[in-house]
Amino acid sequence: MKIIGQIGILLGVCLVGEGISYLLPFPFPASVIAMLLLLGLMVWKILRPEQMEETAGFLTKNMSLLFMPVSVGILESLDIIRQSGLQIVVICIVSTFLTFTATAFTVGWLMKLQEKIGKGDKPND
Amino acid sequence: MIDALTNTPLFGVVLCIAAFYGASWVSRKCRSPLVNPLLVGAAVAILFLQATGIPLEKFNTGADMIAMLVAPATAALAVSIYRQIEVLKRNFLPIVGGSLVGALTAMGSVTLMCKLMGLDDQLFASLLPKSVTTAIALELSTGRGGLGSITALATLVTGVTGAVFAPLWIKLFRIKSPVAQGVAIGVSSHAVGTTKAITIGDVQGAMSGIAIGVAGLLTGFLSLLFG
Repeated sequence: MKIIGQIGILLGVCLVGEGISYLLPFPFPASVIAMLLLLGLMVWKILRPEQMEETAGFLTKNMSLLFMPVSVGILESLDIIRQSGLQIVVICIVSTFLTFTATAFTVGWLMKLQEKIGKGDKPND
Repeated sequence: MIDALTNTPLFGVVLCIAAFYGASWVSRKCRSPLVNPLLVGAAVAILFLQATGIPLEKFNTGADMIAMLVAPATAALAVSIYRQIEVLKRNFLPIVGGSLVGALTAMGSVTLMCKLMGLDDQLFASLLPKSVTTAIALELSTGRGGLGSITALATLVTGVTGAVFAPLWIKLFRIKSPVAQGVAIGVSSHAVGTTKAITIGDVQGAMSGIAIGVAGLLTGFLSLLFG
């Protein structure tokens, strides 16, 4: 019964997310809206994280499996892979490198800045 | 007989689980990020379908049921984010600032390279969100006319790249701060990179986990500005 309730809340939040996504004047993913809604429910103490524990834990821990269908769907795009596969891989590797370094240096710099501004509360940990 | 087995949605569901479960087992034995369960599992399922000549449509009647769970699983990430909310509050500026710069760099570099290589709009849409966690990347991609399967593949290649090279880059650029290491891994290579970050240290793992959510959200908003 507990799990049924969790599934019900989760799917209900997703359904509301779909509705909001439809009403928004710009395209925004329904599942991200649902994520924000669920976060809001917990921040405003309407829902405790323990109340979602089993179902949320099960889904997030096994998330990779959920991407099997879409990954196998690459069968329909083999032509694109043959034609642009190399470019796709190069783009992925180069942009991962650039993103990593840009992020790491920005965080490092902001942490120094934060230390300078507020000496009382220490960042990190 | 074959028809009887493949006409039911159970076929796709069982093939997904069996291929993924087998690949997870192999991946645990190999301990290399290159032997990613999803990568190997999808390859096995594809080879099986090709070898038996079973059409993708029959696989999809069952596979769709598994894919339907992606949205609730994405929403469920909120629970993981909430559990880290104290750490997020304490390091708000570095995490959000770093994720913002990282998300912009990811999308900016993809845009630039797609233009340089002359890739078409469909491929551009498929690659633009590929640095964030697959669930969010998929919706952002298909929402603007991208191909989900290309996005899934690019997202996976991105994650594996981060998991393989991040330790090297940390040494190369002398990134000392565990927070900087963790956020950089999470923003650049999402959940696949995070599995590596956890092995580097607790702070790195937690930071990487938070960065997945923050970068995913920011990329959702920022992708409204691109293209």
